[in-house]
Amino acid sequence: MSPGLHTKPAVVKAASTLLAEMQEASSSLTYAALLTDDGFDVARLPGETDGTRFAGMASSMQALGDAVTHELKIGASEYLIIASGKGHVVQLRVPGQELVLSALFDNDATVGHALAVTRTFAQKMADLLLT
Amino acid sequence: MAEHVILFTGPMGAGKTTAIQNLSEIEVVRTEANNSERHIVDKETTTVALDYGEILVDGDEKVRLYGIPGQQRFSFMWSILKKRAKGMILLVNSDAPDPIGEMTFFLEEFRELYDRGGVVIGITRADVVAGPTLAEFSEALERTNPGLVIPVFTVDPRNRDQMENVLLALIVNIEMREAFGMLTATETA
Repeated sequence: MSPGLHTKPAVVKAASTLLAEMQEASSSLTYAALLTDDGFDVARLPGETDGTRFAGMASSMQALGDAVTHELKIGASEYLIIASGKGHVVQLRVPGQELVLSALFDNDATVGHALAVTRTFAQKMADLLLT
Repeated sequence: MAEHVILFTGPMGAGKTTAIQNLSEIEVVRTEANNSERHIVDKETTTVALDYGEILVDGDEKVRLYGIPGQQRFSFMWSILKKRAKGMILLVNSDAPDPIGEMTFFLEEFRELYDRGGVVIGITRADVVAGPTLAEFSEALERTNPGLVIPVFTVDPRNRDQMENVLLALIVNIEMREAFGMLTATETA
């Protein structure tokens, strides 16, 4: 049995570095979290926040998205977006990993920009885990 | 046509998903993720949002079956799901490190479901380990929650007949308490 990615210091360090780079790439990014499919916090931005509760919520959303696409027979869920008056949350799975990247952008960013940045960094995380 | 919303609660590994799968007459909505806590409970996947199934009893009474994720990091889902339920089947696995503690924890956490519906407790995996006896569970229940009328059974969540008996016991319990005006107002979802 292999322990979750949140217990591997190298993964946690790589995830923290990646989130910092993500913030450099988009000034509209106000919160971001990497978490396991089963709801464990791996890393978050800002780093000093407690990500436990959000990690649980984001993993539930991810699984509910998967359940909806299964129910409607529309293939796999690619991303989730929650739009609100003060920003939008974009969330997607790190390709090939049991990891989810969830990111909050303020309204200065378009949804397209937010999605593009989140996708790029999810792929970077996937590439990092393969090396 | 009467409708019931029943919540399956209890710790990870108690058998909530299995019970709903065995009872449901529709394809169960599942939200599973690979379990990275296999050192705690050795099972491949775990529920991370909810399970949902449906069963008809007495021909036309639809019972909606919701299952919670058992870990405390998903307690926000507990708050969401408990609002829409009117009864609870609390499953506790005998081989948990502290099964009686788990029983009292979940009962306290979901106590409002007793007040506005009813609760039945099912002890699972009692055939796997020599855990506390039914009498010990009942004594602990009386000690921590004196006066509550809560049946305690041993049950195998894989056995549909057993689970159906537990569900029917709960529904009868709810309907009797309702008939005698023993319930508080139902919360709306």
